[in-house]
Amino acid sequence: MTETASSLIKNVSQLGEEELKKRDVPFEYWGPTPKEARKAAVGKKKGLHDKRTTLKEAVSKYVKDGMNIGLGGFVNTRTPVAAVHEIIRQGCKDITLSMQSNSICAELLAAAMILDPDHVSVKRVEMAWWGYEVIGIAPIFRYLVSRGEILVDDYTNYGMSARFKAGSLGLPFIPTRDHGGSDMELVNRGKMIKCPFTNENIYLVPACNPDVALIHTQVADMHGNARIFGALCTCPEIAMAANHTILTVEQVIPNENIRKYPNLTEIPYMIVDAVVEQPLGAYPGAVYGYNWFDMPEILEFRKGCDEFRKTGNKDGMQAYFDKYIFGCETFDDFLATRPYSKIKEMKQNDGVQPILID
Amino acid sequence: MPDYGPFEMIAYAGSKVLEDETVVFVGTGLPIIASLHAQLTHAPQLQMIFEAGSLGAQLDQGLPLSVGDTKAFRKALYAKGLCGAFELTQRGYSDYAFIGGAEIDMYGNLNSTFQGGTYSESKVRFPGSGGAGAMSANCEKTIAIMALEKRRFTEKLQFVTSIGYGDGSPDYREKAGVYGSGPYRVITNEALFGYDKDTRRMMLLEVLPGLTPADIQEKVGFELLISPDLKEMAEPTEEDLRLLRDECDPDGYFLKRVVKK
Repeated sequence: MTETASSLIKNVSQLGEEELKKRDVPFEYWGPTPKEARKAAVGKKKGLHDKRTTLKEAVSKYVKDGMNIGLGGFVNTRTPVAAVHEIIRQGCKDITLSMQSNSICAELLAAAMILDPDHVSVKRVEMAWWGYEVIGIAPIFRYLVSRGEILVDDYTNYGMSARFKAGSLGLPFIPTRDHGGSDMELVNRGKMIKCPFTNENIYLVPACNPDVALIHTQVADMHGNARIFGALCTCPEIAMAANHTILTVEQVIPNENIRKYPNLTEIPYMIVDAVVEQPLGAYPGAVYGYNWFDMPEILEFRKGCDEFRKTGNKDGMQAYFDKYIFGCETFDDFLATRPYSKIKEMKQNDGVQPILID
Repeated sequence: MPDYGPFEMIAYAGSKVLEDETVVFVGTGLPIIASLHAQLTHAPQLQMIFEAGSLGAQLDQGLPLSVGDTKAFRKALYAKGLCGAFELTQRGYSDYAFIGGAEIDMYGNLNSTFQGGTYSESKVRFPGSGGAGAMSANCEKTIAIMALEKRRFTEKLQFVTSIGYGDGSPDYREKAGVYGSGPYRVITNEALFGYDKDTRRMMLLEVLPGLTPADIQEKVGFELLISPDLKEMAEPTEEDLRLLRDECDPDGYFLKRVVKK
């Protein structure tokens, strides 16, 4: 038997009753429940099939209005940008984003909503951090929050990672030692309890099972057995938690390579529903072993967004979307607008990080 | 004394706080530089954790521009993801959290979520907790780096993102379900702060030569305790500055703004 508990945060908190009342709503998962997620896993065909496809087909098959979309990567690393471009091209409304820390993917989707809310809309986000780190704050995020146009559920980076982990474990929640004693205890959907074993307070965060995970890794075979080098970020957990995973990779490698070093498989095939070979699929984000991130490109996109935040002028943003997303059939078309010198520089900046693809 | 900039002073002061044979969980920028300087001087057995999931990297490709930068995994001893990094920490293997924040109060609570308006409709929304909330709860000691400005050292935080000593109650952290012991040092370019053992309130430990406690109090929005054993901050030597400029941040990403004293 457990009892609910609380820290002494109310002695410190300045949030006020009105704000807290807004958050005092019955708990619901913002995506599949653990039971629904299990059912989705059980319902999958488990054979080794050739899952290679295009992003156009994968997105049209697995991404629907109202879904919870789990974003892989971390800040500017292994950002699933190619998949996000395709989602924006096809349109998707009333989505929930779930992520630990992301930059351009979340901003692209949010900016698409500013430009045409009947085509793309993000109603809420469960997250730890939304920004560009050394490059600056995320202008569209700041704009939306200032107008109360997006519902934010705040956790720490471990909190979100642990939530995906709980989802990946088939469990409804996971205990963590974060959030307690901070205002996140009062506003997010976790709960403090008295631990039935230690009799100490411990904070529970609910599982996060996205409907669909967007993950970009270095390599996978055609069945979806994926390797990750450098930071795993929270990609294995997000993919494992999600009902469906769209996997983009720099390179598809033979199944015999996977079988040679099975320890290197971080995401097993049955988790993955679509495999898309998309070189530079995280661009302008970095992919360890392939390319470093492209700061000038991120600055360029951010400039239009910041201009809108400061002046209300959408022209810069609109021009970027018209030319590079709606004006392109595929992500390769977008990449073709970038000079080879830029690609070469990004590859050189990676410094040939060692990875194993054989 | 050689000329140095405020960020060089912060990095140097940060380095001095870090002990050998420990693990520091670093935030972006100055914490990394301070840790590199410590490794090159008094703490060769200091190891860094980057929250994207690396332990003990050797940064021979240069300074990572963010904690998720691929360069933060160079020649690491252990490379996992966020769960790997934070679970080592939750288990008790990170001695220091080295973080920044927009605002701090006298009990070392930090805000990096919003300022102005309300939580749901904030005037200035910051990126959010990121790793800071987890680091301040789970690392053993929290070191905060802040610019010494009245608007940052504030009486009341609009939002507590990273737990400090809360309201100062002796059992605040225990009731929060947190095991890390909490706020340890606050590093600025003009003063070094710690916390009083009994009241858990911020205490001035060291000031820059030439400044008085009154000068520091002037820049702090709450009443500071002054250590009975107040010291002058040590200043970086020529060799320290050479290490910082040539070895730790040769491109000047985080140190380059040099302000003459």
